[in-house]
Amino acid sequence: MTKAKFSTLEQVDRFQNPPKDKSAYPLLYESVKPHIGSFNALTAGPDGGLLNLAVKEIGSRTIFDSNDSERLGNKLQIRVDSVQISKPYATDKLSAVSTTYPSECRETLSSYRGRLLLKLTWSVNDGKEVSEVRDCGLLPVMVQSNKCNLEGMSPEQLVQHREESDEFGGYFIVNGIEKIIRMLIVPRRNYPMAIVRSSFAKRGASYSHYGVQIRGVRPDQTALTNVLHYLNDGNVTMRFSWRKNEYLVPVIMILRALIETNDREIFDGIVGSDVGNSFLTDRLELLLRTYKHYNLNSQKEALSYLGNKFRVIFNATPDCTDVDVGKEVLRRIVLVHLSNNQDKFRMLLFMIRKLYALVAGDCAPENPDSTQNHEILLGGFLYGMIIKEKIEEYLQSIRGQVQIDINRGYACNFSDQKYMHRVFMRINENIGQKLQYFLSTGNLVSETGLDLQQVSGFTVVAEKINFHRFLAHFRMVHRGAFFATLKTTAVRKLLPESWGFVCPVHTPDGSPCGLLNHLAYKCKVTTEQLDTSRIPELLYQLGVSPTVSAAAISGPNVCCVQLDGRIVGWCSHKQGRIVADTLRFWKVESLEHGIPLELEVGYVPPSQNGQFPGLYLFGGRSRMVRPVKYLPLEKEDMVGPFEQVYMNIAVQPNEIENNVHTHVEFSPTYILSTLANLTPYSDFNQSPRNMYQCQMGKQTMGTPGVALVHRSDNKLYRLQSGQSPIVKAGLYDDFGMDNFPNGTNAVVAVIAYTGYDMDDAMIVNKSTVERGFAYGSMYKTEKIDLSMDRRRGDPITQHYGFGDDTFPDEWREKLDTDGLPFLGGYVEEGDPICAFYDDVLGRTRVKTYHSSEPGYIDEVKMIGDERASAECQVMTIKFRLRRGPIIGDKFSSRHGQKGVCSRKWPQIDMPFSESGMQPDVIINPHAFPSRMTIGMFVESMAGKSGALHGISQDCTPWQFDESDTPLEYFGNQLAKAGYNYYGNEPMYSGVTGEELRADIYIGVVYYQRLRHMVNDKFQVRSTGPVNSLTMQPVKGRKRGGGIRIGEMERDALIGHGTSFLLQDRLLNCSDYTQSSICRQCGSILSTQMSVSRVGSAGDVRCRRCAKRVDSSVLNADELDIWEDGQGNKFVGGNDTTTVGIPFVLKYLDSELNAMGIRMKYDVDPK
Amino acid sequence: MSSREGFVPPSAANLGNAASGIQSVKNYGCKYICAQCASTFTLSPKEPVRCKECGHRVLYKARTKRMVQFEAR
Repeated sequence: MTKAKFSTLEQVDRFQNPPKDKSAYPLLYESVKPHIGSFNALTAGPDGGLLNLAVKEIGSRTIFDSNDSERLGNKLQIRVDSVQISKPYATDKLSAVSTTYPSECRETLSSYRGRLLLKLTWSVNDGKEVSEVRDCGLLPVMVQSNKCNLEGMSPEQLVQHREESDEFGGYFIVNGIEKIIRMLIVPRRNYPMAIVRSSFAKRGASYSHYGVQIRGVRPDQTALTNVLHYLNDGNVTMRFSWRKNEYLVPVIMILRALIETNDREIFDGIVGSDVGNSFLTDRLELLLRTYKHYNLNSQKEALSYLGNKFRVIFNATPDCTDVDVGKEVLRRIVLVHLSNNQDKFRMLLFMIRKLYALVAGDCAPENPDSTQNHEILLGGFLYGMIIKEKIEEYLQSIRGQVQIDINRGYACNFSDQKYMHRVFMRINENIGQKLQYFLSTGNLVSETGLDLQQVSGFTVVAEKINFHRFLAHFRMVHRGAFFATLKTTAVRKLLPESWGFVCPVHTPDGSPCGLLNHLAYKCKVTTEQLDTSRIPELLYQLGVSPTVSAAAISGPNVCCVQLDGRIVGWCSHKQGRIVADTLRFWKVESLEHGIPLELEVGYVPPSQNGQFPGLYLFGGRSRMVRPVKYLPLEKEDMVGPFEQVYMNIAVQPNEIENNVHTHVEFSPTYILSTLANLTPYSDFNQSPRNMYQCQMGKQTMGTPGVALVHRSDNKLYRLQSGQSPIVKAGLYDDFGMDNFPNGTNAVVAVIAYTGYDMDDAMIVNKSTVERGFAYGSMYKTEKIDLSMDRRRGDPITQHYGFGDDTFPDEWREKLDTDGLPFLGGYVEEGDPICAFYDDVLGRTRVKTYHSSEPGYIDEVKMIGDERASAECQVMTIKFRLRRGPIIGDKFSSRHGQKGVCSRKWPQIDMPFSESGMQPDVIINPHAFPSRMTIGMFVESMAGKSGALHGISQDCTPWQFDESDTPLEYFGNQLAKAGYNYYGNEPMYSGVTGEELRADIYIGVVYYQRLRHMVNDKFQVRSTGPVNSLTMQPVKGRKRGGGIRIGEMERDALIGHGTSFLLQDRLLNCSDYTQSSICRQCGSILSTQMSVSRVGSAGDVRCRRCAKRVDSSVLNADELDIWEDGQGNKFVGGNDTTTVGIPFVLKYLDSELNAMGIRMKYDVDPK
Repeated sequence: MSSREGFVPPSAANLGNAASGIQSVKNYGCKYICAQCASTFTLSPKEPVRCKECGHRVLYKARTKRMVQFEAR
């Protein structure tokens, strides 16, 4: 049973001598396969990669050089012939070319980019083609992809290049930050889905909520969705969106335009042999009749009608006829996954039939939120889609530039290289920069919208808080930002269809719950198009009749056979099942039959109003697949979510029934994600606790990596005394988790002791802390850029180091001779960390340390610029902050049992067992009854016996059952070691030495220290900074602000009748001010100090009530006259006094004054 | 790296200094380590940031030889 081993020596050896051939942890690389595979597919593959397919699909742009509407002029046809991406390299003036490695980009906070090269080809007046390779900027490149310099390196080489020994890549490096394009769930491609959606009915007057939707995907992975809408009168229109605008076209018009056809053919193709079905025939008659109004009888007429309408939208040049434009519309919009019009025609007929079946209730609507109808939009493919669009925009901008030249009357000569270069010079060729923007912000700037429902949130930072967090990023799939805004919770539901593909445990709680999921650890996502070329032939051999000879076959009574959204043929349902079973047997048996293993054979049997039947074969990219054992051959079969619904897969071998089950799971743990698998004995816990552990495992202060010296992350947490857990899952070692320990084994007693363990608090043994339990550090890196406010081309004005002028001596004491801090030095707030000489001011200045928490200088790095030509301007300083565990820090076991350290209890006062053992941690028994984390009890026992016997315990879930309980297993182990069978022990009070009345459950549990620490959170203020406008305390911890007493807090204070407290909080400790007020006119704004005179101090006067003394008033007593600051003289206005008010009142008064409203206050007593 | 940097035992020449509490200011010089080839060298402020051996553009400052002492508690 015990698969788990400590294998410490192997570990040590692997660290000292990293493998020279291949990684010891292939599963890690498997985890990021979808990312890397999809990126590789951009440039690799039998057809030259997706980007080259994309430029073919874009085709050429035609430009005429005439401004005259009568005459076309010279014709320039320009297209991108091929795309190339180079591996990252750097050029500088000293050495010619040097390869750039990712670690350098991380350290220098730059981007890991290769050059994007487009081969531009053009011809003038259909003459000879001229080509030129254009440099389109630096394009961020995925680490460990085929465009990365690390590709194929052994762990030893990786270590030499300053990477982790198992750097699996899958992310981009943008400005030193690691970014991932996250996987998105999108509707399954090339499958017409029957949908009932209330929003469909809002499209127009007679629209119903029925529709059939198909997301067609072109070979270059760009998608376009077509929807057939059912109108209440029985008509059908097709909807699509093109450049973010929606268009509706009668479906018959499209059918007529696709091929030369007639009403009879359309009727037969939809109705088939169901001529008795009057529901169908009635509607079809109407469908065909309404089209007669258009009076378009031939294919040509239909095409030219379409072309005429779409001419402007498609930007068609005058040399194209309407028919040409119409053909282009059909090619680029209608069922884009098919290239042949005959195929498109047949598929459309099928979709119409499915729509009518849906309306009639013959088939059930499909659930768009079910994994069955999902696939995954992979990062690389999305990246390719954006590149494609940018290339298209590039061609468009060439056309735009020429148009500008023509309009300005500039002589355009297309055959002149010089002119073409002028055009290229004037447009923005930097496509790479646009992609860098996409990666760094996650915002999609797109004209077409790429058939996606969101425009932002595509990328996330691959945070290296610990290894769990980092790894989970690559397995994360998001449902889409659009669904987060929905009020209904239906999309978040965990459906049985997702069994084995999406982990039921690993999703966050709160707002992203159910939208942000993680793939099961064995789930793969296909990144390559399978070779399905031999399948149609095999299908025909198996009794499927090809479509050509069966024009009048249609509907749910026959089994339609489709391969990647193309109708291959038809057969009877009985035959369909045989075909499906045979295909499955063949594909598992061997490759010789020409059926790839990952082909999805989705046989939907006929049913009473169930899913529309048929045999749907999928061999495309982006599909989720997972391994299960195929019983007839006892071999691995790859199963997809579409077919899984109709398959019988036994979970455990003992439940296999004859003639029912065809497959069995290799292991039930295959349904869990990597992280969920690492939770010990998760099958004994209440399910939400396992969810919490998945979250907390990711917030643990663990080991983010080993090559930390070569990283410059803003903030990094590190556990100094990490340990390998005694109790670990079988997968723990497969993923090499011991390279990145995430916690510490602790002796835990479950006891209510001292009262400091109430309410999820835990008592930590003080001596344990002093021995290094959960000791951590935080690393912060600060970038110092001396040329921050220097503009490009300006000379350098700030030089690091001390100047010749005079400056405080302590600077020299705290900084080294080069003006940079001493490594290992101690810094407190306000200490200088870098000295530089400013040419402009002509004196030496320093940058200071800005955190209230003291730290140590860990690293100082000088960073040369791209060409390393000038003196140093950029450096990074890494500070180490000591973060030993203190009261208020958060800890958790691996069972969702988090708690806060409430006391560090002296060891002498801790309870002790008969053998003298004292716990490291004390938790309260009340943590268990309501949370039911039995797994933690089991772990405690297993850990205890593991520690006693010196063995590692395997905590893989589902290894025990009712007949073979963990209590029995570990109880016996404990008894063997001379301990109580149940894990309880008599204990003695550390204070009195008396035996405690009950036996205490004590064992060894692996504890994680979470990154939420009081030092980052405490907020306290007595006096401090205030807002200058209102004089009220500012908000925010960073600025030393206060915590607001809000409305509800105020309500509580009122409710308690604590009016003095309320007064204290809201006034005295806030913006209490003493202000002068005029008793006479009741104004607080018109009072001012008079200028003091000889013999008398200045006093407060009201300017409003005072009278100006000038030539008109002469008989004023000299003694009554007062003066303001400007020398104006007044008399009177001396009836003033002082009141205590909140300062905002003054502000309010001023604001009201500005609106022409005066506030008057009555002052009592007079 | 011929002479050992760091602590220099008081000799007859500077014993008087030590006795009278005068600190002799000693220039330890700033050493830099190349991130790629780990070679050590000095760098003047006006020089471009480049390893003198391999031309790498990231340099680490070497740990000081000066005594670094904190309040020990």
